[in-house]
Amino acid sequence: MNAFTLLEYAAWIISAGLGLWMLIDMVKVNSRFSEDVLLSSREGDIEDHLVIDPEHQRHR
Amino acid sequence: MSDQTTAYTAVHGEKISLLRVLGPGHVWALGVGIVLVGEFMGWNFAVGKGGAQAALIACWVAGLLYTCVAMIDSEVTSTVAAAGGQYAQAKHIVGPLMAFNVGLFLVMAYTMLEAGNAITAGFLIQTVAGMAGFEAVHDKPFIVLTIVALAWLNYRGVFASLTFNLVITAIAFLSIIVLFLALQPWAPTLHRLDTLATGLPYGWLGVIASLHFGLWYYLGIEGTCQAAEEVRSPARSLPLGTMTGMITLLIAATLTWWICVGLMPWEYLGQAITPLFDAARLTGSVALMVLLFIGTIFSTLASANGCINDASRAWFSMGRDRYLPVWFGAVHPTYRTPFRAIVFLVPVALVFALGAPLDQVITFSILSGLLGYTFMSFNIVMFRKRWPVGRIKRGYVHPLHPLPAIVLLVLCAATYFAVFLGYGTQLLAMMSFYIIASAWFHFHRYRYVRRGDQFTMPWPRPQGY
Amino acid sequence: MAKQPYQPPEQSMAGQVTDSLLLLALVIGALFLPLWLGLAGGGKTTLELPEQTWAGMAQTPAMQAQWEQLGYTEETAAELIASRFDYSFSWGALALTALVIIAYFGFVFRFSEQEYREVIDEKFGKP
Repeated sequence: MNAFTLLEYAAWIISAGLGLWMLIDMVKVNSRFSEDVLLSSREGDIEDHLVIDPEHQRHR
Repeated sequence: MSDQTTAYTAVHGEKISLLRVLGPGHVWALGVGIVLVGEFMGWNFAVGKGGAQAALIACWVAGLLYTCVAMIDSEVTSTVAAAGGQYAQAKHIVGPLMAFNVGLFLVMAYTMLEAGNAITAGFLIQTVAGMAGFEAVHDKPFIVLTIVALAWLNYRGVFASLTFNLVITAIAFLSIIVLFLALQPWAPTLHRLDTLATGLPYGWLGVIASLHFGLWYYLGIEGTCQAAEEVRSPARSLPLGTMTGMITLLIAATLTWWICVGLMPWEYLGQAITPLFDAARLTGSVALMVLLFIGTIFSTLASANGCINDASRAWFSMGRDRYLPVWFGAVHPTYRTPFRAIVFLVPVALVFALGAPLDQVITFSILSGLLGYTFMSFNIVMFRKRWPVGRIKRGYVHPLHPLPAIVLLVLCAATYFAVFLGYGTQLLAMMSFYIIASAWFHFHRYRYVRRGDQFTMPWPRPQGY
Repeated sequence: MAKQPYQPPEQSMAGQVTDSLLLLALVIGALFLPLWLGLAGGGKTTLELPEQTWAGMAQTPAMQAQWEQLGYTEETAAELIASRFDYSFSWGALALTALVIIAYFGFVFRFSEQEYREVIDEKFGKP
């Protein structure tokens, strides 16, 4: 056990944490929104509505 | 939060958080960001395949190949600006099966590049820990951390990490320049090009063979076209950004070659994992070592980040078009990222990064890229035939058509031969993969695809159909 | 539009999962099969070195200095120095590889063309 081993454990823990975060968030989103909403994006829609980033849109 | 976000979920997924705000400088930085890692690792296998001089020839010949790629891609992308990427080009110009294959090329090339980046980062940390006196250090935790953490960043929206990405790319680029200036190869004291660069161990056959890894100096520069929809005036910015990116890479590649070849025996260089860091070690300067450590790590992170972004986009687009299970075509309501595609590709990248040697992973990536370039040479010819110049508005018309297409095809053929020399079984394995996948798509998967919906450009009917 | 647009069937969840797993298996198989079968990197040979000294391995004193600074000894460097690619190939294998690549592109372009006509007809109507 040395300082570097601690670093290795830290790397494992952070990886597991971030991975779990993604999985949990994905499951949450999957259950909270209907598939129709999640799958609603279409190629070519971009030009029609350029309301892409509400944050930026507000500053206009 | 959710009320506000549900209202915006119908937004096209690829436009997540990005407005048309990018100029040529951003395009330059995006292209170079993904590619620059190639100077820190991977290119040197070209030295192993043909010797030091062969690697330089390969570097310039590959530069010519990529100049053709950049010219051709700029023309098509300046028209397919709304949807972006070679996948959309193939869908509109050649047909669904080709598009499916091009999508796979992109996903494979970028996912493998990402795996290669993670391997390099892990290896470097392991080396440095070993040099610092620690025993029995592992690289695996850091490989996993690199992939998972960057996937997480992408999941949360890539916009925040983009600026950061540009900064770390710039630092990585500067570290090469600083190393070059510090070494003063033109006044050889440390640097012994004359005694270390020894001829062509395999003769001229080795020169062709080294073309295989010569591609690595530039692989991914065509990713600039993925930014087509976020660029303010794609017609002007894309050609400009891509071409200046090419020039930067040509300079960086030549400098890298010059630095490394004069410091390391070619037998070592040809099998090294982090050649530029090794070069810094050989100078004996701790400051340079730290700088190149940072440069290498930053370049791998910047590249892996861009790769996750591009690969998941391609996977997502294919899901949305039902080329893949439609489940992957989902957009995250809050972060507006293709979140399922990002999560799905994490284990794929992990399997490759943990289970395969670096040169295999790189070969897989290069082959996928190469197949994509072969496609491009046919693509431009068909594009000009179906929509001749003047029939639709082009932002940029590349000169000397069809010469670049022919040069590109010839160089691609030479590179297939180069991969065949030494990696013939991988080439065949890879081709079988794409053939089986294509058959699967045509005979099974395509029945789930809506036909007319795939054509989304406001173009007239193609000539001859 | 003369023809009713093609209505694809909805794919069941089980079908989607099967398709994803199948693709995954294909990808992993393509990379790992050559490794598992020991075919990968089969293009390498080892040089017969007369003796494991720097001079015997044709390394000049300048090269030797760099090897040593990189942390190698004569023994550990020998393996790297002796490793060579084997570029001898049979024309048959080359012809087969070329044929596979050409057949692949032929196959893809042919079926793409077929599918593309359907797309164009549905989008712009039959001519």
